[in-house]
Amino acid sequence: MKWITRERPKIDRIACPWLLKNFVDREAEFIYVPKEQVFAKAKELNAVAYDLPGAEYSHYGDECTFDFIVRKHKLDDPAIQQLALIVRAADTNRFDLAPQAAGLWAISAGLSHNYKDDLEQLKEGMKIYDALYSWLQYAQSEVHTWSSRL
Amino acid sequence: MKWITRERPKIDRLACPWLIKRFIDKEADIVYVHFDKVKSEAKRLNAVPFDIPDVEYTHYKDECTFDYFLKKHHLTEPALQTLAIIVRGADTDRHDIASQSSGLWAISAGLAHNYQSDQELLKKGMIIYDALYSWAKFHQKEKHTQNPTEHLLIDVFEKFLKQKSAKKPPAWVKELKEIMQDQVDTSISLKQLSKDLDINPAYLSREFSKYFDNLSFGEYIRKLRIEKAMEYLNNSSYSLTKIAYLTGFSDQSHFTRIFKKFTGQNPSVYRKKLQKK
Repeated sequence: MKWITRERPKIDRIACPWLLKNFVDREAEFIYVPKEQVFAKAKELNAVAYDLPGAEYSHYGDECTFDFIVRKHKLDDPAIQQLALIVRAADTNRFDLAPQAAGLWAISAGLSHNYKDDLEQLKEGMKIYDALYSWLQYAQSEVHTWSSRL
Repeated sequence: MKWITRERPKIDRLACPWLIKRFIDKEADIVYVHFDKVKSEAKRLNAVPFDIPDVEYTHYKDECTFDYFLKKHHLTEPALQTLAIIVRGADTDRHDIASQSSGLWAISAGLAHNYQSDQELLKKGMIIYDALYSWAKFHQKEKHTQNPTEHLLIDVFEKFLKQKSAKKPPAWVKELKEIMQDQVDTSISLKQLSKDLDINPAYLSREFSKYFDNLSFGEYIRKLRIEKAMEYLNNSSYSLTKIAYLTGFSDQSHFTRIFKKFTGQNPSVYRKKLQKK
């Protein structure tokens, strides 16, 4: 399936492709186009539009598109539920919701600055969500300090 | 130059190599070995050991090795200073000192889990610290409003502001301002003014505050009168009765009451304070 959204992704438009590819649609292909072209191109390419007003896959209330995918596709993995909170916090500027949001936002904003090609950015961005997901699954209890490392 | 440290890097042993490669030694080779071998390998390879105890490039008190590199190499750029606090927070488990530390730590711990090769991990680390650095340098003050509805509202609001500022105030505004200035000592009314300007009084009343500091006609006139009174108190020896009369107040007690309401003090006190200066 093809998935299409606005260009110049930051949080949701990187996190959603990661979620879709890993948990919803293994064959997913991602397309980024200028905002005003999303729906026309979606029709032309038979792609699903996401993360913009007017699309089914979009924000609802306080929740971001990542939340919608989790709900719509009934993803009940606890690590995904926690990740959804971090993504929502970073994406909707509610850094109070999850301590990891401010760092995720800083790294994502910088990544977007450094990669002018959206698909290149997506490739690197995917690895960040792989890392967050691993951390949520395995490494969460680990406390990192100078003394404990020796 | 070769730089050597312990294997399985997480924060400092990725952040420092990034700093070395970007700001100190572009050709740097970073070597990761088992903790026990760092010193002997450093000697054998003629490499500089870092981030282990009892070497020069290491932690000092609360500060981590990244901090020491900045100090030693006089790297004073503000973005690097910002980065240093985030790295220190993540590296010394003091997530309270920078709000970004928790996220950096979570992502770094996850990367370490996903990449078993330290050199691969370093490659990913370079991307992360390049990103953090760009954020600190160019986007630190930016707020993220990714909510599409919010974006829509911001768009509309900005258009509205543009329209508003593009609109010149109508001609009557200037004229009205002059009349009020001139007639501050008389009992001007909005009704009389609207007649003079040939404008519908209801329209004038509604439009007035848009062009006069968000104040209603009554508030604006009072403000003019108080300002005028302050001028007299500053520059004349007129009695309060006379000043009340000259600024369009019905009598001295009315003047005193309104003056106090505006400035928090009686006109006589205001004048005395001025004389003391």
